[in-house]
Amino acid sequence: MATLEDSFLADLDDLSDNEAELDESDGDDAKKDEEDIDMDMADLETLNYDDLDSVSKLQKSQRYLDIMQKVEEALGKESDGTEKGTVLEDDPEYKLIVDCNQLSVDIENEIAIVHNFIRDKYRLKFQELESLVNHPIDYARVVKKIGNETDLTLVDLEGLLPSAIIMVVSVTALTTKGSPLPEDVLHKTLEACDRALDLDSARKKVLDFVESKMGSIAPNLSAIVGSAVAAKLMGTAGGLSALAKMPACNVQVLGHKRKNLAGFSSATSQLRVGYLEQTEIFQSTPPALKSRAGRILAAKSTLAARVDATRGDPSGTNGKALREEIRKKIEKWQEPPPARQPKPLPVPDSEPKKRRGGRRLRKMKERYAVTDMRKLANRMAFGTPEESSLGDGLGEGYGMLGQAGSNRLRISSVPSKLKINPTIAKKLKERNYAGGATTSGLTSSLAFTPVQGIELCNPQQALGLGSGTQSTYFSESGTFSKLKKI
Amino acid sequence: MKPPKKKFESFPFCLGLLKRQIRDHREKMESVLLPTLTKKEEIDRIINNTIDKVLVLRFGRTSDENCLLLDDILEKSARDVSKFATVALVDVDSDQVQVYVNYFDITLFPSTVFFFNAHHMKLDSGTADHTKWVGKFHEKQDFIDVVEVIFRGAMKGKMIVHCPLPPERIPKFQLLYKDV
Repeated sequence: MATLEDSFLADLDDLSDNEAELDESDGDDAKKDEEDIDMDMADLETLNYDDLDSVSKLQKSQRYLDIMQKVEEALGKESDGTEKGTVLEDDPEYKLIVDCNQLSVDIENEIAIVHNFIRDKYRLKFQELESLVNHPIDYARVVKKIGNETDLTLVDLEGLLPSAIIMVVSVTALTTKGSPLPEDVLHKTLEACDRALDLDSARKKVLDFVESKMGSIAPNLSAIVGSAVAAKLMGTAGGLSALAKMPACNVQVLGHKRKNLAGFSSATSQLRVGYLEQTEIFQSTPPALKSRAGRILAAKSTLAARVDATRGDPSGTNGKALREEIRKKIEKWQEPPPARQPKPLPVPDSEPKKRRGGRRLRKMKERYAVTDMRKLANRMAFGTPEESSLGDGLGEGYGMLGQAGSNRLRISSVPSKLKINPTIAKKLKERNYAGGATTSGLTSSLAFTPVQGIELCNPQQALGLGSGTQSTYFSESGTFSKLKKI
Repeated sequence: MKPPKKKFESFPFCLGLLKRQIRDHREKMESVLLPTLTKKEEIDRIINNTIDKVLVLRFGRTSDENCLLLDDILEKSARDVSKFATVALVDVDSDQVQVYVNYFDITLFPSTVFFFNAHHMKLDSGTADHTKWVGKFHEKQDFIDVVEVIFRGAMKGKMIVHCPLPPERIPKFQLLYKDV
């Protein structure tokens, strides 16, 4: 820390030299002001923000003082009204308005610079405050209120901030690692706060003046959005023609503030609206239609601004018509949709049934398809009588099955895809097992018959029926005969 | 810096919902009344002019309770079957209509006779009389089913169709033959 102090002292020496130069060049021209500011920006790294006046020069500049004086005058006296040149730019009042707009932008930049200054100084005392209170003017007010106080319960921040933020600030102050500032730094910081608040009030004055003149400057725009918002839009855009040149999507977000969420989710209410949010039309639309309303407001107000920039309609009727259009559109959106009439039933059999195809249907059809065996059985060779199941032409005919002339050596009797009755499937399985080379150890060639007792060849098998017990109890393809649920 | 005060926003939305309910209710209440025929020429005209649609003629009186119930069902389903059927009411108390009453042998009211392309369609519902439907329908869907079956049969060229309703739903009546 000692080295830092030394560097500060060294910079102070540097600064006094620089200040002498700067004071000389402090002139009336705005151009020179800009040059000074550039030089200041270059020197800022070395100067280290130690003196406010080296950083913020606007309040001392002649231009600022001139315009403020004119505004005070104009606010005092009544407006002339009638005398208006055909070209907007020639009107002296309009020139003042343009200057005011430019000045308000400059004041805003100046406030930002002063805010940086205050922040840097106050960082040593209360670092977290800058992230909790985003707005520069609020920050200045809070800093002024807190001062060098360590215990925030003694400080009343009511009215400066929303209560949620006050709570967060008080809690954070308890755990801050900052230390109270030395007297001269504190003095400088408070001076900077005062400067910021002065600039803010000056800006307010300028904007009030612009607002009061808005009816004569931009009647159509103020007919749609109201004179306050119109003044703010013009101020931020930097003049009526600048506002007219902007596309509507830019006008929509002019003045969009970055909200301090403080733990709240950013998923809700992501409306992209700036100053237009404060218009009467926007406030009175239901929340579901707010985004559409914002878009249409921006579009129509841009049109009105363009009309005003060319002085096309001094009476403001165009603006009123546009406002009416917006109102009608919003009302139409809120209309309930037409009730659904119950449809009369369609004529029977007029719509043909949609036959669906596809893989699933093909697989289903395969299960009931005509097999190769059946196809062969259906055909007959010419000249040769077909064999039949019962012989001599009785029973089912075998057709080409088993004939010498048929091409196939083997024909599988049952393809795997066919659907077979489960009882028939069981019988077939048994027959296959009975004829197979590998048989289970449980089978025996002996049959227990009631007549003979034990027989070697099963008489029932000749009839085509297996022995009752053998086929079911010791059967390989059989299942458990008795299942008991535990 | 407090946000600007918002007006009560949900009121216009609620108003929109209320408007919708009133309009729906109003539309349900109104229904096109079925044409009531009192003259022979009217009946002739409607029979000849209904092409490719089933013509449902109800013979009855508006004073009869059964008739009113049947009329209610006819009115409610008239729009649903409008693509393949037309419904009309014939007042049986008028003089000119007696010709038809005698021709179709209508003794019990209400009776419903079906036509298709000027041809009289018969309906076998298990009762003795196939030429007409006597009595009321139990439900709107029953009536629609009967009309559909008649339409299908007629499009295929049949003269008589079989009634799809179960016997419980078919009103029973006694046929008196010459007061026997």
